[in-house]
Amino acid sequence: MTKGTKTIKNKELFVGLVFSLIFLVIAGRAVQLHVIQTKWLTAKAESQYNKYLVTCGKRGTIYDANLKELAVSLEVMSIGAFPGRMEDISQNGKKMAKILGLNSKKLTKTLKSGKSFVWVKRKVAPNDVEKIKNLDVKGLEFIPEHNRFYPNMGLAAQVIGFTGTDEKGLEGLEFQYNRELEAASDKFIVTKDALGRRFNSSGSSVTGFSGNDLVLTIDKRIQFIAENALKEASEEFQAVSGTAVVMQPDTGALLAVAHFPEFNPNIFKQYDRNVWRNRAVTDPFEPGSTLKVFLAAAAIESNVCTPNSIFFCENGTYRIGRNKVNDTHPYQWLSLQQIVKFSSNIGAVKVSEITGKKLLYKTLTNFGFGKQTGIDCPGETSGILSNYNTWSSIDTGAISFGQGISVSAVQLLAGVSAIANGGKLVKPYIVKSIISPDGTIVRECGKTKGRQVISPETAEKIKVIMSTVVTDGGTGVNAALSRYTVCGKTGTAQKIDKGGSYSNDQFTASFVGFAPQQHPAVAVLVILDDPKVNHYGGVVAAPAFKQIVHETLNYLNVEPETDSNDETILLAQRIEAKR
Amino acid sequence: MFDRRLAENFDWGLMGITLLLGSIGLIILYSAVTAGGVSAQQSLYYRQMVWFGAGFFLMTVIFMINYKDLERWAPGIFICCIALLVCVLVFGKVVGGSRRWLVLGPVTIQPSELVKIGTIIMMARFFSRNASRRGFTIRDLIRPAALVLVPFVLIVKQPDLGTALLVVLIAASMTLFVGIERKSLVYIVFAGMGTGLVGWFFLKGYQKQRILTFLNPDRDPLGAGYHIIQSKIAIGSGMLVGKGYLKGTQNTLSFLPEQHTDFILSVLSEEWGFLGSIVVLLLYMFLFIWGLNIAHKSRDSFGTILSVGITAMIFWEAFINIGMVMGLMPVVGVPLPLISYGGSSVVTTLIGIGLLMGVSMRRYIKE
Repeated sequence: MTKGTKTIKNKELFVGLVFSLIFLVIAGRAVQLHVIQTKWLTAKAESQYNKYLVTCGKRGTIYDANLKELAVSLEVMSIGAFPGRMEDISQNGKKMAKILGLNSKKLTKTLKSGKSFVWVKRKVAPNDVEKIKNLDVKGLEFIPEHNRFYPNMGLAAQVIGFTGTDEKGLEGLEFQYNRELEAASDKFIVTKDALGRRFNSSGSSVTGFSGNDLVLTIDKRIQFIAENALKEASEEFQAVSGTAVVMQPDTGALLAVAHFPEFNPNIFKQYDRNVWRNRAVTDPFEPGSTLKVFLAAAAIESNVCTPNSIFFCENGTYRIGRNKVNDTHPYQWLSLQQIVKFSSNIGAVKVSEITGKKLLYKTLTNFGFGKQTGIDCPGETSGILSNYNTWSSIDTGAISFGQGISVSAVQLLAGVSAIANGGKLVKPYIVKSIISPDGTIVRECGKTKGRQVISPETAEKIKVIMSTVVTDGGTGVNAALSRYTVCGKTGTAQKIDKGGSYSNDQFTASFVGFAPQQHPAVAVLVILDDPKVNHYGGVVAAPAFKQIVHETLNYLNVEPETDSNDETILLAQRIEAKR
Repeated sequence: MFDRRLAENFDWGLMGITLLLGSIGLIILYSAVTAGGVSAQQSLYYRQMVWFGAGFFLMTVIFMINYKDLERWAPGIFICCIALLVCVLVFGKVVGGSRRWLVLGPVTIQPSELVKIGTIIMMARFFSRNASRRGFTIRDLIRPAALVLVPFVLIVKQPDLGTALLVVLIAASMTLFVGIERKSLVYIVFAGMGTGLVGWFFLKGYQKQRILTFLNPDRDPLGAGYHIIQSKIAIGSGMLVGKGYLKGTQNTLSFLPEQHTDFILSVLSEEWGFLGSIVVLLLYMFLFIWGLNIAHKSRDSFGTILSVGITAMIFWEAFINIGMVMGLMPVVGVPLPLISYGGSSVVTTLIGIGLLMGVSMRRYIKE
């Protein structure tokens, strides 16, 4: 052995050490990857192959009282694509774009964007889906989604509301009951490979997690009647807007809530957002003379006077301090009943003076004014009724004929319904029941006990007074029906103009009442905002009220009152002839 | 003729490590080629078995031949290898922009793999005949450098920079082993760094890209960085004991690129976890130490240098491949010896082991 080989020999150990050191680095790296970074690398791996697919069940249906569909969710297909699996993207993109009416360049660009999944088009019409399926393009995914559809277009649109593109309720009951209606979304994990092919996806049934259905108290037919009458009146008198509410006085169930102008919730974005609101609930207004019935209730209930107590009406002009109160017609002596019948403001002030602001306030709050009724619609206003401590004498006088107080349509109608209902105030409601997808009743609504706000005797007296409004000489004679006795009250309130004072040419014309007198089946309120042709509630709103009551009673098969005398029939015929 | 003592001194340890690594390779390869249920790839598994068979046959042939004879034939072997490289450049099959493969009937071989063996034998012959105590000077090294330059240039022409550099790396390791004069070593190191800098400007676009994305894989996560990121994800998500055989999600769901060739260790790491990785690393470690031990025990310097060269070859291949898979090195097409799919790689490695075995078996035989 040479010396050279010997020196070489000693180097094997050195080489071994070098190799070992280098391998130690690799082993260290293995520790780093396997042990130290393992958490986020694992998460990264999972995020690659675990794609969360969210499938939504079906949003609950909204039915009317007779289970007619008002809002339904229809299944539509959305087309997605895994471009990695698609062959000949440009050619297929062109074909698909043609069928779907898309920009073919844009679609091809999307498909070539390098993303593992892209939407081709969402919510595609069924026949287009068929055509795309027939193309037999690889890498396409047909994903069922739901689209909210309102088959009756504008019918009760403000009540029902609408949903956004993601099927979340944005307005109306869709918003209020979103939680009930909303379908559960199931986020299930789909394992996908690098090309987006799906493995072992856990199947899930869509019906299993659908939302609950709502059954409304709204009757599609009555709703239609109310909307129709309201629209005719609004157009005839060129009102800016209008509201009509129909309520069952003994239960508080709303049979119809009509608004003018209407909008189509299927394309709600094309309408001004001001028409989306359920103004019967959300918008306060000064009621005007319709409030006189509650003044009468306060006076009679507290035994301050009887319907026949007489008051001097100052020949049309009455001063309270520096303020003047006027009547449309000058009167001298009127009984309480006549004050309501002729709607004398001065008379009302006189009644309020002897009743006192405290009693008036107490009665009004008892009837629910100044407080939310608690109806299950979003954005309810409480109206404005300030505490009587702050009332000056002119305030008290004004409130007695419905100025300086604001109410919502539903509030006012609920109050009038209490009179119709023997003095018992019930909470208005609009959802009758909530039904789960399997048909069991989740919740039954509207079974609240009423609250006696005035005695049945007082209520009876007010009913009689209100019935005189719809007789010869009364302001509401236009609401008279031939076979039923109608109780009602007109309202003609000056609107507050931009300057903050009462306008002389802008009015809120209204008519509120119920029929038949004996066993009231419906209470109806019609409000027309800023009518141009005429502004008296008795002229503008009463005919629409009459039409609604008449058609609704017919539809509900309410028996004509047997004791309705010839007089009322004659009166109705005469009015009919005049028109 | 055949010496009885040859059989008595048969290196069972080396054979055992080789068989273990080969078996692990086949087991992982099965998982890698059945990934995602692509049946077309499954034939690769059987092909690899055939290659192993051929490799073991050649290994036997090689260790039966006295390596002393190989020393004599070295120039012939080297020239044959060079000739094959020239053939590749002329008749080679182009795959993915590189002309690396020679199609010989039913088999496709990669001569650049075989060249490594040829170069090692040639270098061992040169160094054993010219060994000096003071170490080699630059002047002494001109001839071996010229020897290496020929295959280097031919492989770079293919182009296959990874393999070309590997040949240089093996030769350099051997040179360092036999010893370089200190002054010359300093010059060489500086010269090497200089060439590295200049060489950067001669790199092809994709080669530069690879180095840049190695330095920062997130530069292009869906493009060039994809390999490294996916590999790291697979390894890291394997955790301590792995996801189980055939259950690696990144492997079976086709997220791993080239999972049966260069990135096969990612599959192993994912399915067998840290334990699997460490076992494979330890086996390689055993192999290297065994190889160096053979070098140590060899009676003559040719055997020693040859053994070191072969060990260095397997070491650098393993190191570069594992380093690449674990994100320590840029992506270069170097297979993992005995584990990656690839006929030429398997056969070359087994021939190398045959050489080691030949040296080992003859350690007690006096000339």
